[in-house]
Amino acid sequence: MSFLAPWFLLGAAAIALPIIYHLVRRSSKEHIPFSSLMFLRPTPPRVTKRNRVEHIVLLLLRCLVLGLLALGFARPFFQKPLTAAAPADAARKIVLLVDTSASMKRDGLWPAAVARAKEVLDRASASDLVAVLAYDRQARSLVTFEQWSAMAPGERASLAGQQIEGLAPSWFGTALGTALVSATELFAQNEKQGPAAGPRQVVVVTDLQEGSRLEGLQGFDWPRGVSVQLEVIKPKRPTNAALLWLVDREDSPLSDTEAGPRVRVVNSAQAQHEQFQLRWDVAAGATPIELYVPPGQSRIIQLPKPPSGRASDRLILSGDDDAFDNVLYLLPPQVEDMNVLYIGDQKESDPAGPVYYLSRAFQQTRRLRVQLQLHAPSVPLPPDRLGTARLVIVGDRLPEPAVEPIRRFAQEGGTVLVVMKHAGFSEIVGRLAEVQTPAAEEVKPANYAMLGQIDFAHPFFAPFADSRYSDFTRIHFWKYRRLDLAQLPGARAAAWFDSGAPALLEAPLGKGRLVVLTSAWTPDDSQLAVSSKFVPLLYALLDWAGGRTAQLWQFTVGDSVNLAGFAAPQAARPLTVVTPDGASLPLPAGGQVFTQTDAPGVYTVGAAQPAARFAVNLEAAESRTAPLPIDVLERLGVPLKPADAAPAQPLEQRRRLQSAELEGQQKLWRWLTVAALMVLIMETWVAGWLTRRTTSPAASTI
Amino acid sequence: MLSSRHHSALSLPQARRTGRDGGSGAPGTLINPQALMAIKNLELRARTVVEGFWHGLHRSPYHGFSVEFTEYRQYSPGDDPRYLDWRLYARSDRYYIKKFEDETNLRCHLLVDNSRSMTFGSLAYTKAEYANTLAATLAYFLYLQGDAVGLLTFDQYIRAYLPARHRPGHLRHVMLKLEQPAAGAATDLAAPLQRILRAVKRRAALVLISDLLAPIQGLEKDLTALTACGHEVLLFHVLDPAELQFPFEKAVMFDDAETGRRVFIDPARVRQDYLKRLEDHNRMVQSACARLGIAYRRFSTDRPLELALFDFLRERMQRGRRNRQLRGK
Repeated sequence: MSFLAPWFLLGAAAIALPIIYHLVRRSSKEHIPFSSLMFLRPTPPRVTKRNRVEHIVLLLLRCLVLGLLALGFARPFFQKPLTAAAPADAARKIVLLVDTSASMKRDGLWPAAVARAKEVLDRASASDLVAVLAYDRQARSLVTFEQWSAMAPGERASLAGQQIEGLAPSWFGTALGTALVSATELFAQNEKQGPAAGPRQVVVVTDLQEGSRLEGLQGFDWPRGVSVQLEVIKPKRPTNAALLWLVDREDSPLSDTEAGPRVRVVNSAQAQHEQFQLRWDVAAGATPIELYVPPGQSRIIQLPKPPSGRASDRLILSGDDDAFDNVLYLLPPQVEDMNVLYIGDQKESDPAGPVYYLSRAFQQTRRLRVQLQLHAPSVPLPPDRLGTARLVIVGDRLPEPAVEPIRRFAQEGGTVLVVMKHAGFSEIVGRLAEVQTPAAEEVKPANYAMLGQIDFAHPFFAPFADSRYSDFTRIHFWKYRRLDLAQLPGARAAAWFDSGAPALLEAPLGKGRLVVLTSAWTPDDSQLAVSSKFVPLLYALLDWAGGRTAQLWQFTVGDSVNLAGFAAPQAARPLTVVTPDGASLPLPAGGQVFTQTDAPGVYTVGAAQPAARFAVNLEAAESRTAPLPIDVLERLGVPLKPADAAPAQPLEQRRRLQSAELEGQQKLWRWLTVAALMVLIMETWVAGWLTRRTTSPAASTI
Repeated sequence: MLSSRHHSALSLPQARRTGRDGGSGAPGTLINPQALMAIKNLELRARTVVEGFWHGLHRSPYHGFSVEFTEYRQYSPGDDPRYLDWRLYARSDRYYIKKFEDETNLRCHLLVDNSRSMTFGSLAYTKAEYANTLAATLAYFLYLQGDAVGLLTFDQYIRAYLPARHRPGHLRHVMLKLEQPAAGAATDLAAPLQRILRAVKRRAALVLISDLLAPIQGLEKDLTALTACGHEVLLFHVLDPAELQFPFEKAVMFDDAETGRRVFIDPARVRQDYLKRLEDHNRMVQSACARLGIAYRRFSTDRPLELALFDFLRERMQRGRRNRQLRGK
């Protein structure tokens, strides 16, 4: 057993104290009452040959407590053989990570990074193995260990340096955690060919910005023996402001003001400037907006629309030191047009009719413009009407010539909604479904009927699945039609009245569907049109009919863009995308996902007019250019080594370090302390027991 | 006039001069204090001592020691010639009339130490019990003689004071006060003496019964004041045999009975020093008493109480003789 603090063992000499105490305290518990002590002088107890130790058990326990405490303070541990240190000139394995993220575009950073990386390569000795990885959102290999070994020793640094010079900062974000993990995996792969002889080190040349993503290190068990050395490139000027677009809800109503988009301007904490300007990028006529943003704070700006007649898709911020994140590409939201065809005689102005409520339910939003087209049943249907419609609502009896086009519309994928105003509508249902007219019965409840059962898994009712919205009992139905589902092949109900009769049913028709509402929403039939669920039900019907597509038009560098919503079905295939720098990139045949969003800007899809466009901007985290605190990495378990760490430690120092490490692992002092406490408890109990045994003050031996 | 009770001079048996206590070793002659202390009732104890004392007076083999309870005054025309002391005339060629003690209306004040140090005792009884018994014995004796007896008990304060009276029931009061236990945390000798000095204007006999285990600075001054007022002072210094010999052997903690202080004492190492200091203390007291003409008697609590009574009476006799001598000059 060895000791980390052996001089504490001197404390064991304190064991003599209880021995002396037990010798000199002979009979000290006994006492004799005397009249007066005025003629008696106190005599200190002394140890003589005649004395003998009393209460040997108590003495032993007290000595044991002191001995255990002295031993514990001496920090004992069991020594292990010292592992042979890697000789000072042992071959090292180094993985050089070069940061090529967008933040390295700042003024002067990239050249400094290249120079630093070359220094690292130059410091490598002939026996060292070096691999070079460049990383931004993911790591990619430039030089492997094998390639390094294959190079002539005198040329390795320069050849690898040339590879680095060929790099340039990209527009992608910084996934530092993923890059570090990739570096350690490189060691593991290389060691499969042979065990590591020398130290392993990851050298990271980076600006170490706060926006670096470290999720890759969460839960990662850092391998033993791999240290990380950071070569931080610091910017010459610290002021950096960033532009962020604030998203509006896509279904919020359009404002009729001339307000443009809202943006947030964020100033870095180390900034030395506070005044900035913001303007639309137009040739002339755009008045810049002056901003005052103190360091470390942000401001939200409601921008005016671009000057009339001058469309602009980019905002430019000026006044800070780094321009790489000063352009924000903004496209106005794409308003989707959707046609709903209503076949019926009712007037839009008639409150007793269904159209009155239908026209008021469909309001234009930022993303959707629903055109309600009214068509009288007696008028022949033009083909283009059905061709552009997404939903057909039959509100009146159909003449025979109109049935076939509507049926075909549904069979080709459309959705037809039949609103049964009376039992006779079952004939329309039968003709559309090409079945015998299903039996229908007019039902007029004594008071009213309610929806007693609803299938919230059905797409029509799915938006109401939450318990906060699932209560339909407040909607009363005065009349409805009982339709026999069995006579409609493939039909299934999505809602039932409390009588058990289906309220809403769906029957497949080819690629589309026939939806039947057995009670109208007009005040004669029900309260549906005046309930708060009417409008959401209609929009759910539109979604179900394939009307709305959640189409994004603002993306981040590196995102994959699904072009299905941008290109009309009749657009030329394969699709091509024109990048901001003018390159036209075709997608693979049948492909709809564009992945080459490598740079910020506005991308155009296809050649159709008007052009479908989407904007790609820099990742917001890249604008957080404040230095990342190093202890964040240490807390994630990354062992950092100072850049100018001393070479291999002398043997004695290593032995001390190993001893401290062993003692810290074994923590024998804890067990000794616990043992001392237990012995102390035992001593207390024994002393109390002996005291109770002792009789009344001893009689004086006169 | 002379009381018939004291017509004849009392003859006390001559004490056998063996040992320091004046010959108390004669078996069956004097009451064993241990046996006496076994009597629970204080008055009974006192009565036992007194009656034993009188009994001893009649059949004791001690002879040749006479105490005369008389004093003389010069004959004046008109005095009764029957009380002329012819012997004295033969010696002095002058006429003197005998006078008995009781004619002087003796007032005796018993000053009894009731401090906690008196509660110590290595025998079956404490010094306090012994002192109280001694005081009760003297009180009973004097009461029988028709003398007025007063009582003052003290510790660091004066606990009880009864003026000298000879009334029915007064002796009972005295006994009751003497039966109260000792409780004081210290001993102050000056307070009772000063109180007596203020309270007693007429000449009286003052009997101080104490272990004197207290600083005696100022004691001589108070005693001097008392003797200057003409009081007769008799000091009974009561100590336990263990205090006088310190026979302890075991090194233990000793508890001070008055202060409660506890000190570790190795008797083997301190005995010599203790005995010397005690002796020095006692000698100082004794010298002071000698200088002031105060009768000093050291009493170990294993000494029969009759001898205390004997000493009391002898002292009175010797005082009377000295007074006569002084007047004769």
